[in-house]
Amino acid sequence: MEDLSQDSCGGEDAAPGAKGWPAPQARVHFRVTRFIMEAGVKLGMQSIPVATACTIYHKFFCETNVDAYDPYLVAMSSLYLAGKVEEQPLRTRDIINVSNRYFHPGSEPLELDSRFWVIRDSIVQCELLVLRVLRFQVSFHHPHKYLLHYLISLKNWLNRYSWQRTPISVTAWALLRDSYHGGLCLRFQAQHIAVAVLHLALQVYGVEVPAEAEAEKPWWQVFSEDLTKPIIDNIVSDLIQIYTMDTEIP
Amino acid sequence: MDRDLLRQSLNYHGPSLLSLLRSEQLDNPHFRSLLGSAAEPARGPPPQQPGPGRKEKRVDNAEIQKFISKKADLLFALSWKSDAPATPEVNEDGEDSYAVMPPLEQFMEIPSMDQRELFFRDIERGDIVIGRISSIREFGFFMVLICLGSGIMRDISHLEITALCPLRDVPSHSNHGDPLSYYQTGDIIRAGIKDIDRYHEKLAVSLYSSSLPSNLSGIKLGVISSEELPLYYRRSVELNSNSLESYDSIMQSSLGFANPGVVEFLLGKLGIDDSNPPSLMRGLQSKNFSEDDFASALRKKQSSSWALKCVKIGVDYFKVGRHVDAMNEYNKALEIDKQNVEALVARGALYATKGSLNKAIEDFELALENCPTHRNARKYLCQTLVERGGQLEEEEKFLNAESYYKKALDLDETFKDAEDALQKLHKYMQKSLELREKQAEKEEKQKTKKIETSAEKLRKLLKEEKRLKKKRRKSTSSSSSVSSGDESVSSSSSSSSSGHKKHKKHRRHRSESSRSSKRHSAKASSDQIDQNRKDEYFPVPANTSASFLNQRQEVEKLLEKQDRVPYQKKQVKEKDRCSVSSSSVEIPDDFGGRSEDSRDFYNSYKTQAGSSKTEKSYRYERHFSNRRDSSDSFSRNPEDKLKNYGYRKFEKDTDGRREHYRKWEPGSMRYSTSPASSDYSSKSVEKYKKCNYSGSRDFNRHEQRYQLSKSHREYEREDNCEESIKPEAPEEEELSSKEHSESGAKKNLPQNLLNIFNQIAAFEKEKGNKQKK
Repeated sequence: MEDLSQDSCGGEDAAPGAKGWPAPQARVHFRVTRFIMEAGVKLGMQSIPVATACTIYHKFFCETNVDAYDPYLVAMSSLYLAGKVEEQPLRTRDIINVSNRYFHPGSEPLELDSRFWVIRDSIVQCELLVLRVLRFQVSFHHPHKYLLHYLISLKNWLNRYSWQRTPISVTAWALLRDSYHGGLCLRFQAQHIAVAVLHLALQVYGVEVPAEAEAEKPWWQVFSEDLTKPIIDNIVSDLIQIYTMDTEIP
Repeated sequence: MDRDLLRQSLNYHGPSLLSLLRSEQLDNPHFRSLLGSAAEPARGPPPQQPGPGRKEKRVDNAEIQKFISKKADLLFALSWKSDAPATPEVNEDGEDSYAVMPPLEQFMEIPSMDQRELFFRDIERGDIVIGRISSIREFGFFMVLICLGSGIMRDISHLEITALCPLRDVPSHSNHGDPLSYYQTGDIIRAGIKDIDRYHEKLAVSLYSSSLPSNLSGIKLGVISSEELPLYYRRSVELNSNSLESYDSIMQSSLGFANPGVVEFLLGKLGIDDSNPPSLMRGLQSKNFSEDDFASALRKKQSSSWALKCVKIGVDYFKVGRHVDAMNEYNKALEIDKQNVEALVARGALYATKGSLNKAIEDFELALENCPTHRNARKYLCQTLVERGGQLEEEEKFLNAESYYKKALDLDETFKDAEDALQKLHKYMQKSLELREKQAEKEEKQKTKKIETSAEKLRKLLKEEKRLKKKRRKSTSSSSSVSSGDESVSSSSSSSSSGHKKHKKHRRHRSESSRSSKRHSAKASSDQIDQNRKDEYFPVPANTSASFLNQRQEVEKLLEKQDRVPYQKKQVKEKDRCSVSSSSVEIPDDFGGRSEDSRDFYNSYKTQAGSSKTEKSYRYERHFSNRRDSSDSFSRNPEDKLKNYGYRKFEKDTDGRREHYRKWEPGSMRYSTSPASSDYSSKSVEKYKKCNYSGSRDFNRHEQRYQLSKSHREYEREDNCEESIKPEAPEEEELSSKEHSESGAKKNLPQNLLNIFNQIAAFEKEKGNKQKK
C-alpha cells in the first residue's frame, strides 16, 4: 500500500527548465515505458496491471542507477511481476515472443534452444531482484478506480446530451494511461491524479460543470478534500510535458 | 472531425486556440475546412471569466491550448467516442457493484434555485421519478418528487417539485369504482414522466409503462415501499443528517468500492474499451498494431514450428524403424501444438502401419479438418478407409464396410481400389440377400403346414360354439359398427411391409430372453385391468382406435406370456397376489381419464412395472398397428382371419355384455383380488401350453392363439356370468393345483386345445354373422 506523496527519486523526471529537452535518463525511461505499454496491449493486459508494471519500473529506477541494469530486462520482469500481482498472470514465453518481435520487427519466433532458456532464466532472476529492491511492496493504489467513480458522479450532474456528445470518459482514461510514461504515480496521490486528469479532459473540450460558480465547493474539491488548485495545475503541466517527449523521441 | 466539439472548445478557450490550431494542424485536411468555418464563431467568444486568477489561467491555458492543438486530430476525431449506451439505464445497481454516491451537487452545495433550473433543463420524457402523493383530486393526484429512478440522479427532495398524474394515466385496480381510490396521500409512487413544460416548470407523469422507453418497460410503476427507494437517495438522506462526511470517506467505506471487478464494471458502464485502450500518444495508437505482433498469434506460430521439429525427428525414427521413438516424438509434437497437421498425418500413418486403423482414421480426419488441402492426409485417409472396409467385410459387417468404401470414394473419386472393393461388396451383399429371402420363404412354408393341421380341428369346435353363442349373444348395432371399424382398420393395416417382420423378430428375441416373474405379475394385473376396464367400458365410438386398445392389451399379455419359459409357478402365485392388489388400487385412477393416451400410458406403465427388458417390446402398444400389420401380413393364413374375427367378436361381446359386467363388477373386484392369481395362473398355464404346443417360435401364431383363447375366456365369462364364477373357480383351482406340479405342462395340454377349439368356434360364428350382413 504505497502512498508516496513526495518524490524520492533523484533526477527522475526532467527539470522543466529547458523547454522540450528532457534529461537523458528521462528519455530512456520514456522509451522503456513506451515499450511496457505497447507490450501490455499486445499481451492483452488491462489498464491496471500495465499501470502496476510501470509503477514497479519507475520505483525500481528510483532506487537504483539506470546504468546498473538493463532497463528493458527490468521492464520485462516488471510486466511479469505485475501480471502476478494483479491476478492476470502472463507466461514468460509470451513476454519473450512479444519483446523479441518488438526489437526485431518481422522476425520469426524464437526457437526452443539454449538462448531461449537463457532469456527466460534472466527474466525470472530479474523478477526476484526487483522484488528485493522494492522490499516486496508491490501493491499500489491506482487512480483508475477513483477516476471511474468521479466520472459516474459527474455524468449524473451534467446534461445527458452534452455528456453523450463529449467523449470525456475516453479522453480522461487515455490521459491517465499515458501519464505512466512519467513518474506521476510516485509523486502524487491517486485521487489527485484522477481529479487532475478529469479536469484536463473537461478543459480540453471546453465543458463547464454546471453551476460551478454558484457552488460553495468546487467539484474537484468535493472529490478530494485536500486538493488545491496548484496541485492540479502541477499535475496537468507535468502531464503535458510527458506528451512533449512523445514528439521528440522516435 | 466533430465540428460541434471543436466549436465548443474554441468558444471556451478563445481565439488564441484558433491560431494555435491553425499553426499546428496545417497539414491536416480535416481541419482546413473546419478552421475556415470555425473562424466566425471564434471572433466573438464569450469573455473569459474575470477574476484574480486570470493570469494564471492564461499561462495554464497556453500550455493546455498547445496541447489541444497538437492532439486535436485525435481529440476531435469522430471515432473517439465512448460506446456507452445512449438510452437511460435504471441505476438500480446493487450496493456491491460499485460505490453508489450521493449526488455531486449535494456536496457542492449548490443553491436550490440553480438546482431547480438545471433540473428542469435536464429532465426528459421517459425518465422515472419517485415521489410522494400530496393530494388527490377528482382529475388526478399531485405528488411531490423525492428522487429520480433513471437517467440522471439528482438531489431534488428539497426542491419541492410537484408533478401531476392525470386520471387517464392511472390504471384501474378494480373493475369498477374510481381508480384513484386505490391511492392515499403519503403513498410513495414511482411514475414515468410524460410531459414537461420547462418554461412553466410543470410536469405530468403517468403510471402506465407505455410512458417509459422500451428498455425500462419492465419496471413496475405505482406504489412502492420505502425499501425500493434508490440507493443514491438513501445515501443522500444519510449525508443530510451527517453532513460532515466527505465524498472520499463515503466512497472508501462503501462495500462496492472494494469490489475486485469494479473497474471492469464501470468501464462497461461508461463505455470505455480496455482491450483496445485509448491513448493520446502517437506511437501507442492501437489501431497501428499489427495482429501478428500479438502474443497469441506469436505463440501459435512458435508452437507449430516447435512441433514441426519434433515431427521431423519422429519421421526420421520411423524410417529407420524405431516406431516407439517415432510415436513418442509425434506425441510430444501434439502436446506442443494440438492441431498440428503434419504431426497428425505422421501419427496416423504410424497407426495405420501398426494396424490400429481406427485411430489412424481419426487422426487423418482431424488433420483434414484443420487443413483440407493436405494431399498426403487425403491419400492416406482413403487408403486406410479401404483397408478398414476390407477388415469389416471379413467380419461380415457389410453395411459398415460399405459405408467406409463410400466415404473413401467421397474423399477421392479417382481412388480405384475403393471403387473396386465397393462393387465387389455390393455383389456379395445382393447374393446374400437373395439367399436370405429364399430361406425365409422356406420357413414360412413350413409354418403354414403346421397351422393347417390344427386349423381343421379348431373349425369343428367352433361350429359347436356357434350354437351356444347364438343364444347368449345380443348383437347390437354398435358392435356392427365396431366390427366395420375393425375391418377398416385391419384393411388399412394389411398394406404393411415385411419390414415389420424384423421388428417382430427383434421383439420376439427380446421377449424370449426375458424371464422375470415380475412379468407375470404385470400380466395378472393387466388381466385385471382388462376385466375392470370392460366393466366400466363406455360404448366404444365407431371407427376409433379405441377398439385397438383392448386388442393391444391382449397382445401385450400374449407377449408377456410368450416370454415366459419354465419358471417357478409357486413364486408366481404370491407375487401375482401382491401385484394385483396394488394394481387394483391403480385401476380406478386410470378410469378417470378415458382417453386412449391414458390407457396407453397405463399399459406401458404396467409393463414397465412388470418387466425391465421387455419394456421396449411392450411399448409396441403404440406400434400396435405395426404388430397388427405384421400379423396381417401373415394373413395369408386362414388363422389370421379367425383372429380378426375373434377381435370383432370380442368387441361385440364386450359391448353387449356391458350390463353384465356392471353387475358383475363388485364381484369381479373381489374376484380379482383373491383368485386372480389362480385365474392368472390358469391362463398362463394355458398360454404356456400353447407355447409348448406350437413348438415353433413364431410370434404371430402365438398372438393369434392367445387372442383366441382370450376371447374364448371372455366368452366363457359372458356366458356363465354369475354362475361362472363358481364353476370357474374350482376349475382354476384345479388348474392351479396342476400348476404346482411341475409336470403340469403335459397334463394341461388337452385343456389348451379345448380352449383353442372354442375360440375357433367363436370365430366361425363371427364369420357366419358377417355373411348374414
